[in-house]
Amino acid sequence: MSLKYTIAPFSAWLQAVSKPFTVPVTGGPRPGAPRYRGWHINDVEKCIGCGTCSAICQNEAIDMVPVDDPVVGDSGLRPKIDYGRCCWCALCVDVCPSGSLGMSNEYVWADTDADVFRYIPGVDEKPWDDSELGWRREEGFELVDHDRVPMGMLDPDERTQTWAEVVIGYTEEQARVEASRCVDCGLCVAACPAHMHIPDYIGAIRDGDDARAVQIIYDNNAMPEMCGKVCTRRCESVCSIGVQGDPLAIRWLKRYATERFDNLAEVLQPQVERVGEGRTVAVIGGGPSGLTVAYYLAIRGFEVTVHEALPQVGGATFFGIPRYRFPMSSLEKQVDLLKSAGVKFVLNHRVDGDELTRMLAENDAVFMGVGLMKPMALRAPGEDLPGVIPALDMLREQNLGHEVDVGEKVVVVGGGNVAIDASRISRRLGAEVTIAYRRRVVDMPADDEEIEDAEAEGVEIVTQAIPLRVEATEDGKLDFVWGPAEMVQEEEGKRPRPKLIEGVENHLVVDRVIVAIGQGPDLDWLPTEISEKICNKWGYIEVDETGMTAVEGLYAGGDLVNDTADAISAIADGLRAVNGIVDKTRAQHV
Amino acid sequence: MKSFEEILDFAIDNEQKAHDLYMDIAEMATRPGMRQTFLEFAAQEMQHRERLEAIKAGKLPELDQARVETLGLSEHLVDVPVEKDMDYQSALLFAMKAEQRAYDLYAGLAKATDDPNLVTLFEGLAQEELKHKLHFEREYDDVVLGDN
Ligand SMILES: Cc1cc2nc3c(=O)[nH]c(=O)nc-3n(C[C@H](O)[C@H](O)[C@H](O)COP(=O)(O)OP(=O)(O)OC[C@H]3O[C@@H](n4cnc5c(N)ncnc54)[C@H](O)[C@@H]3O)c2cc1C
Ligand code: SF4
Ligand code: SF4
Repeated sequence: MSLKYTIAPFSAWLQAVSKPFTVPVTGGPRPGAPRYRGWHINDVEKCIGCGTCSAICQNEAIDMVPVDDPVVGDSGLRPKIDYGRCCWCALCVDVCPSGSLGMSNEYVWADTDADVFRYIPGVDEKPWDDSELGWRREEGFELVDHDRVPMGMLDPDERTQTWAEVVIGYTEEQARVEASRCVDCGLCVAACPAHMHIPDYIGAIRDGDDARAVQIIYDNNAMPEMCGKVCTRRCESVCSIGVQGDPLAIRWLKRYATERFDNLAEVLQPQVERVGEGRTVAVIGGGPSGLTVAYYLAIRGFEVTVHEALPQVGGATFFGIPRYRFPMSSLEKQVDLLKSAGVKFVLNHRVDGDELTRMLAENDAVFMGVGLMKPMALRAPGEDLPGVIPALDMLREQNLGHEVDVGEKVVVVGGGNVAIDASRISRRLGAEVTIAYRRRVVDMPADDEEIEDAEAEGVEIVTQAIPLRVEATEDGKLDFVWGPAEMVQEEEGKRPRPKLIEGVENHLVVDRVIVAIGQGPDLDWLPTEISEKICNKWGYIEVDETGMTAVEGLYAGGDLVNDTADAISAIADGLRAVNGIVDKTRAQHV
Repeated sequence: MKSFEEILDFAIDNEQKAHDLYMDIAEMATRPGMRQTFLEFAAQEMQHRERLEAIKAGKLPELDQARVETLGLSEHLVDVPVEKDMDYQSALLFAMKAEQRAYDLYAGLAKATDDPNLVTLFEGLAQEELKHKLHFEREYDDVVLGDN
């Protein structure tokens, strides 16, 4: 070994005192450029946990991790970023539908612990959390299309001259474009009472496989064409694209897919276990909850009979919802599928207490979905005058094809779907229509689009109007007297309530006062020994998590059980009972 | 009626009578759920009675004099008779009107009295009845007038 190598370790020590070759940085590291793509920041209050950032990241650098309890419209998850993988491309920021995700212009961070380089921006505190600088999605630059494909509608003037459907429906091309706006986040699934597989069927529509879309839709909705036309679309209210743009037209896409096929039985070949062979189930009431139970039990081998008081099943979607929103052909198509699945129908047959008792003894299960059939009364003086009529009666007569005469001028009292339908029907019958509603337009339970449609068709809405009395005029008309209301916020966090301003009276002279203030259950026909067990103080029915009442084998669902009173909630209740009955049957097989 | 105790006894007796009436209606109610509704109303009257008894015994502070703002819901609605097939809407309407009548009674007595102590007591009792009425009004506004 040469001397050079022997002394090298000692001469290396000299470097410790010699002048360094590196140039010390003065004033710390240089700041990142104003739009530098540095460490992420996230406004976690604004973030809805949709996971779109995670889905788009090509490096799989983002995991969605739980930070809070999920609520409707927020998964409770937040993105956690792994900087061992991140390449700072900012795709996640550019796609974020809520606009919550950004990047600071900070880039210097040294640590001996590699684990700290995986953190949840906005949750794990960082010095750059409040950074104003760094990468943000540019105004007007969107990776996702914010604008919904507009839906074609009949012209408002034309609508009041016809009973034709107002909504025209998407073309194939329109549906594919609209479907391609979905980011597949799935927040809608949690919001839908039936938990339909929304991103999956939208994906199938986008990919041009409409049959597949319908098959997915029928996984948990046996009346999808109805929902595709009239659903209250809780899903759309939480759509992540809706945070900054128009929510996906989920309802219209479902409508598109189901309308593509005339013979549903050919498209649907459900592969389910026929666990119910040899068992019988009676369904009382042919509304959405009852029809749901009937279909999903029939395809599982149960022998199901639906007993319906009216000449046609469909429940309120048949006798309440007008044909220009949900045509008879759509309903019949869905009922045909039930028939092909083997469901039997007994129409024009009102079940009474004795028959219910008999049914319970003779069937493996009985499902009751008889809805809210009793209109709330006005209870104002003059309510018994001829010409003061419940909206439900008027709609039923109209939908049964009977002649309905509302005269030339009508006032509709109420602000729910029933009131809007009654007013739009009255317009089509040629009447001038005013809606008198106790609260404000924002408080109306009716769908916003329905309210807009009614106004476009010439319905006048008078808000904060409290009915005082109805009087007969000398020329055979009705004087509807109402007083103005002020809105009082008397309980924190609750919607304000109307309070009459005393001393002012307004008059509206009309031919009909159509009352649409609400509905309640009409279960007087139940045997007392059953009603005492299953009804609560409001006269509604209570069920357990399997959909069963306190009477063994008696299941219930729909409007007379839930407090949301819409079609999709009735369907969800039906599905719960199906699961309850199927699980019980399986347990009995063991 | 002269003394503070006598007046409270009168009010206590009124709550008892209201309780008994609701118990009677509950007994004859035929509609599903209505027996339960009236039993609940009766229980509420019993709570009102117990509250007045506690005030009389000095266990609770005197009645609150703060003015209760009701929604004025029942004043323009029709009277409903007591019937065995009363529904929830009628039951609430009946209860609102009964509380209003009780208010009118105490408010009238307050006006007819000169003794300032008794005026205060009657007014307190009157406000108490309005509180009960407001409870039923809110329920009517939420449940019966859901669509209006
Ligand atoms: C005018 C109107 C408009 C509406 N608009 C919408 C809307 O746009 N979107 C939406 O989602 N929802 C809407 N709804 C609500 C929706 O229709 C209901 O939530 C849904 O139909 C409830 O379903 P259900 O299964 O509880 O039974 P229901 O639809 O209420 O049907 C119950 C059925 O039971 C039958 N029946 C009752 N008693 C007996 C008996 N003893 N024997 C045999 N049969 C019996 C009745 O004849 C009826 O057919 C509307 C309702 C009305 C009235
Ligand atoms: S995309 Fe935006 S809103 Fe969705 S989880 Fe990521 S940061 Fe949150
Ligand atoms: S910046 Fe790019 S690589 Fe980094 S997490 Fe976002 S999408 Fe993934």
